[in-house]
Amino acid sequence: MVATAVTSAFFPVTSSPDSSDSKNKKLGSIKSKPSVSSGSLQVKANAQAPPKINGTVAVTTSVEGSKNDDGASSPPPRTFINQLPDWSMLLAAITTIFLAAEKQWMMLDWKPRRPDMVIDPFGIGKIVQDGLVFSQNFSIRSYEIGADQTASIETLMNHLQETAINHCRSAGLLGEGFGATPEMCKKNLIWVVTRMQVVVDRYPTWGDVVQVDTWVSASGKNGMRRDWLVSNSETGEILTRATSVWVMMNKLTRRLSKIPEEVRGEIEPFFMNSDPVLAEDSQKLVKLDDSTAEHVCKGLTPKWSDLDVNQHVNNVKYIGWILESAPLPILESHELSAMTLEYRRECGRDSVLQSLTTVSDSNTENAVNVGEFNCQHLLRLEDGAEIVRGRTRWRPKHAESSANMDQISAERA
Amino acid sequence: MLKFSYCNATDLNQALVQCRFAGSFGPLSSRRRSPRAAVSCSRSNLTPIQAVLSCQQQVGSDPVESELGSLADRLRLGGLTEDGLSYKEKFIIRCYEVGINKTATIETIANLLQEVGGNHAQSVGFSRDGFATSPTMRKLHLIWVTARMHIEVYKYPAWSDVIEIETWCQNEGRIGTRRDWILKDVATGEVIGRATSKWVMMNEDTRRLQKVSDDVKEEYLVFCPREPRLAFPEENNKSLKKISKLEDPVQYSRLGLMPRRADLDMNQHVNNVTYIGWVLESMPEEIIDTHELQTITLDYRRECQRDDVVDSLTGPELVEGSKIHGTNGSATAITREDDLDCHQFLHLLRLSSDGQEINRGRTEWRKKPT
Repeated sequence: MVATAVTSAFFPVTSSPDSSDSKNKKLGSIKSKPSVSSGSLQVKANAQAPPKINGTVAVTTSVEGSKNDDGASSPPPRTFINQLPDWSMLLAAITTIFLAAEKQWMMLDWKPRRPDMVIDPFGIGKIVQDGLVFSQNFSIRSYEIGADQTASIETLMNHLQETAINHCRSAGLLGEGFGATPEMCKKNLIWVVTRMQVVVDRYPTWGDVVQVDTWVSASGKNGMRRDWLVSNSETGEILTRATSVWVMMNKLTRRLSKIPEEVRGEIEPFFMNSDPVLAEDSQKLVKLDDSTAEHVCKGLTPKWSDLDVNQHVNNVKYIGWILESAPLPILESHELSAMTLEYRRECGRDSVLQSLTTVSDSNTENAVNVGEFNCQHLLRLEDGAEIVRGRTRWRPKHAESSANMDQISAERA
Repeated sequence: MLKFSYCNATDLNQALVQCRFAGSFGPLSSRRRSPRAAVSCSRSNLTPIQAVLSCQQQVGSDPVESELGSLADRLRLGGLTEDGLSYKEKFIIRCYEVGINKTATIETIANLLQEVGGNHAQSVGFSRDGFATSPTMRKLHLIWVTARMHIEVYKYPAWSDVIEIETWCQNEGRIGTRRDWILKDVATGEVIGRATSKWVMMNEDTRRLQKVSDDVKEEYLVFCPREPRLAFPEENNKSLKKISKLEDPVQYSRLGLMPRRADLDMNQHVNNVTYIGWVLESMPEEIIDTHELQTITLDYRRECQRDDVVDSLTGPELVEGSKIHGTNGSATAITREDDLDCHQFLHLLRLSSDGQEINRGRTEWRKKPT
């Protein structure tokens, strides 16, 4: 399991993959949540600590439909437990049901929230009107464009990571560092990501503005799932969907931990009851070895810039290494359309890694479209210890943008 | 004479050499402005703002759109200053741009400098197709290449800090142009860094440096301040310091560095900023753990191709007596000369295969603030 310092929380862990799905389908599923008795605070989730710019507190602009009892400029993070008087539980329950219903509806018909964007000058993002979804815009910068002339998958993953952290922070759930809530810090607990699934429908290009929405849900009893939806700010077109699963680990003993009640109290108010944004890829990820791997890249070492504040390799860097051993013809003619990763172990500055790739036989996998490839991946240390296991799917480049190609060739003429 | 060996593909897509005027840009289809119009913008007698507008019209942008700006432009928080002679943009430091020191890495800073330079070029109507060249430069097949980059950081910004970068360019010599940057912390207004870079014009077909006539230069110089404006106005400043070549045997090295796919820019060339990472790879860990980079100077000699293997070499810069910064023998003391916690190193990046020099560099390190 990788302890990520940077992407903290927000990914529910699905220890039992089918349980959360059936629960989430019902609108009345809130009743089955254990936390409702402690005063579900979804209604309060809007009253976040105002984002700080350079250490000073900036006045937040009002968010649509905010339902907080406090004033707009709120003091720094506070616990939620002791905030609601009992009489408002009924109101909270009614509101929560309404919000969940609205969220379900919104999942089906995602519209761009254009008026919000100009209120967010520094791209800090905000909790949007239903109180549970954090939304942030990113303008694709020139150096985020990769050799394919689109934003790289690393750029997209970085944006996901950034919104996760900012969601935590604006919800008042950021303890010291990037990895834990205040209660978790007290107990030496950190979030670790175990699984990540990304589907890219279209890569943004230089100058595009993407809107990243993210939210968390429960995953089994002791985990969290974080979902993201990335869309083109201007057109509303959905570009990328991602989901990830997180568990809690004691950072001293490195053992997995149940979610303590105090932490549950902190985070459960923020759980959405919604279907995962991506259907879970339940296929078992195969472990490659030297005999089954077609392409091997050895001697991969982290650079200084690959390390996070704890001197562990940032999650996103693994993806770059995985792609190092992907066959170049595929990299050049195809683009990554889907990726599933299982994180097993973390690595640090002195690690020397190997990246193994096999192009799967398409007959044994799910049916793929013409021209698509599946690949299996493994990142491991030289002694064989597994770091990440993965699967990727590749589709021919420019498959969807044939209209753009005409425009490009016309412009170059 | 700077020599660069690029691939010789004639296909327009492949022939886009990494443009160094402000960064590298590829042949992207721009929905906002059509990138190429073979019309010359010779307007040496116009003010910069007028020149921008007519250049944009020539390039064929939709007039309504240029008034409102695209969504990206509006969100970009940057724009030309009132006199049109420089460009400012604000950036917020993102969590993944922060390194082991919990502050922005030097690569992040360098990326932002590159970004703001490119946005400056684009805001005055230069092409977005990877060259940031003026229309006349394109007609003459001229492109920009970086010769030297010098960055000084006095205070590294932390996550979610907002910084403002101002940039401008100026003429330098017959073939050179200088682009300068000043970085400020928006909250405090203090200058947290400065940078300067030197660019030369090269003919992309002959691969030779080329002197250009004054009216070609005027086309872009109209956007530059006429009075000399230097990010490093002080005399004998470190941006001018000659960098000696590190000779064998070297004290520290990291061999066999290869460009990753993520190091390639839109034009499939190794991004300028990657070289900074490589230079730092051979720094001794005891310095990295206890010090932070104050100054880095890189002389670009030869470009690295994606299949090249590079060796990174580092050695302490030997000084004579206690006068550390006497390039021409003068005893001008600028900063931290007698501060024993300041270390200086020389660097060399060369090809593993034949030892050809790619970059040479110089860094200064100060003790980390507690």
